[in-house]
Amino acid sequence: MTQVVVGQILNGIILGSLYGIIALGVTMTFGITGIVNFALGQFMMIGAYATWYFTDLAMFPFPVAVVFAVALAAAAGLVADQALFRFTRNNLVNGLLVSIGLISVMESGALLLFTTTPKNMDIVVAGSWSLGAITLPRMKVVAFLLLVAVIGLTWLGLSRAWLGRATRAYAQNPEAAMLMGVPTKALQTGVVVYSCALAGFGGALYASLFSLEPSLGGLFILKGVEAAILAGVGNLLGALAGGVILGVTESVGSLYLPSAFRDAYGLVFLVAILLFRPAGLFGGQK
Amino acid sequence: MKALWFLIPLYLLPLLVKSDVVLTVLIFTFVLGILAIGFNIVFGGAGQLTMFHAAAFGIGSYVTFLSMLRFSIPFWLGYLVAVVVVVLISIVIGWICFKFRLKEFYFAVVTLAFAELCRLVALNWTSVTNGTLGMLVLEKPTLWLPGSGVIKIEQTVPWYFLTLVSLTGVLVFSALLMRSWIGRNFSAIRLNEDLAQTLGIDTFRYKLLAFTISNVIASFAGALYGFYTGYIEPAYLAVAQSLDAIAMVLLGGVSTILGPVAGALVLTSLPHLIELPAEMRVAVYGMILILVILLMPRGIVGLAAGLFKRRAHAS
Repeated sequence: MTQVVVGQILNGIILGSLYGIIALGVTMTFGITGIVNFALGQFMMIGAYATWYFTDLAMFPFPVAVVFAVALAAAAGLVADQALFRFTRNNLVNGLLVSIGLISVMESGALLLFTTTPKNMDIVVAGSWSLGAITLPRMKVVAFLLLVAVIGLTWLGLSRAWLGRATRAYAQNPEAAMLMGVPTKALQTGVVVYSCALAGFGGALYASLFSLEPSLGGLFILKGVEAAILAGVGNLLGALAGGVILGVTESVGSLYLPSAFRDAYGLVFLVAILLFRPAGLFGGQK
Repeated sequence: MKALWFLIPLYLLPLLVKSDVVLTVLIFTFVLGILAIGFNIVFGGAGQLTMFHAAAFGIGSYVTFLSMLRFSIPFWLGYLVAVVVVVLISIVIGWICFKFRLKEFYFAVVTLAFAELCRLVALNWTSVTNGTLGMLVLEKPTLWLPGSGVIKIEQTVPWYFLTLVSLTGVLVFSALLMRSWIGRNFSAIRLNEDLAQTLGIDTFRYKLLAFTISNVIASFAGALYGFYTGYIEPAYLAVAQSLDAIAMVLLGGVSTILGPVAGALVLTSLPHLIELPAEMRVAVYGMILILVILLMPRGIVGLAAGLFKRRAHAS
């Protein structure tokens, strides 16, 4: 039984780091542009399908395919920002509806291109490690480490470099930041594009672990938003922690409680956190 | 209230139009319009972005039908049971949300969480709700009419009038509500909650009231919808249903009386007007939604009001 629990915890951590990378995008975009891009899950889907396409059909090595996939997701993000999100800054409801429209467009595009048949990518890193009775596929560990590395680097970049100070200055007081010479328009676009690139990266790793369907993104944006709020909106490292907590709660929860309510445990947890710690578990970094 | 004269041609329509397709589209418009009006009271009125209205819609249809089955009572008594259930749930959820001062994004997320919990209950309480398969509704609402006694609402035309009368009633109610002191208190909260509090408005109580009224109206739409389609399923409580209603309100015009109905009309008839394969249809729907939000921020009614100088604007 202990092995099952430990195994579920490890699974939860790995899945949670995928939630975390979406949560990071949600947290950053919300802090800087005042909207939540609900289509982030679909950018993740772009990254996933692009990775599958470049490795299995175009026969590129996996790392190159990931770079292409991230670039593609970022480019799509730039287009979406310039055509749509530029006009919905600081308007949560309009941003929500525009991203819902975008979800419909992107998902039906994926359906036309790839149909509903699940796609399975060739295994990238074969084999697994075993610790006693627990076996852990190597690819899952690699994916987890990569996600943690990207989230950590983002945090480092934002807390050390000029760009990070500018971003936080903007989040605290937009007018003052503008007066100090922060290029606010470019900053907002940059954050939206970067969050899409992050989602694309998450999608690339998702492709190496699970089978692909056009609707794969829908679940992740909800979990990402939950994780971001759980940790406290604006807290970058907290996004990872929030994602992991959510992933572990779900995996372990479905062991002891009916697994049909798997998606509910995170929600109950979220409501409890919001009521008793409105700024999130680790407090927002406003 | 002048806006309500726009409804009169709809009462005469069945005399001219015999097409079942047109009447069916209008019936769906009326029912979903009621749902949208409900959302407009809490969002366009009191400024609270709820995501719970689809859950109230679903609970309305489930509880009405289940209590009809259990207690063998007619539709309207069954709906009364649903009202009691929805009011109790709304008070509990609203009390939690407003007591802890959840606002905007956080209020939306917590109400969404509660709505998802309700959907999961409908999905997994198989012995009562029949799970994903949903339930077939063979019963029909009955009405007592002078001259013809108790009749069952079965054909398209009686359904058309039942839903149209219901819509009119809800419209009149919402117009009166928004013009009363209660509606003015809602507006005060929407425009500046801190100021409203300072002026002595019990914001907690009025937000709770707006939330409850809106959910009761949504549950009425749900009961009509379930019995008209003859089928109830957990998808009624899904996020997509909430978002559809929000899109209708924004498309038609937030905080206007007729806006939700105009939005419902466009979004319900649109799929029937464009002949396209299913995937393309969803894409076109998405694009129209995006264009409307970006190009017509005040919605159809707002645009019309701008053109006709205050003629269609009632609130």
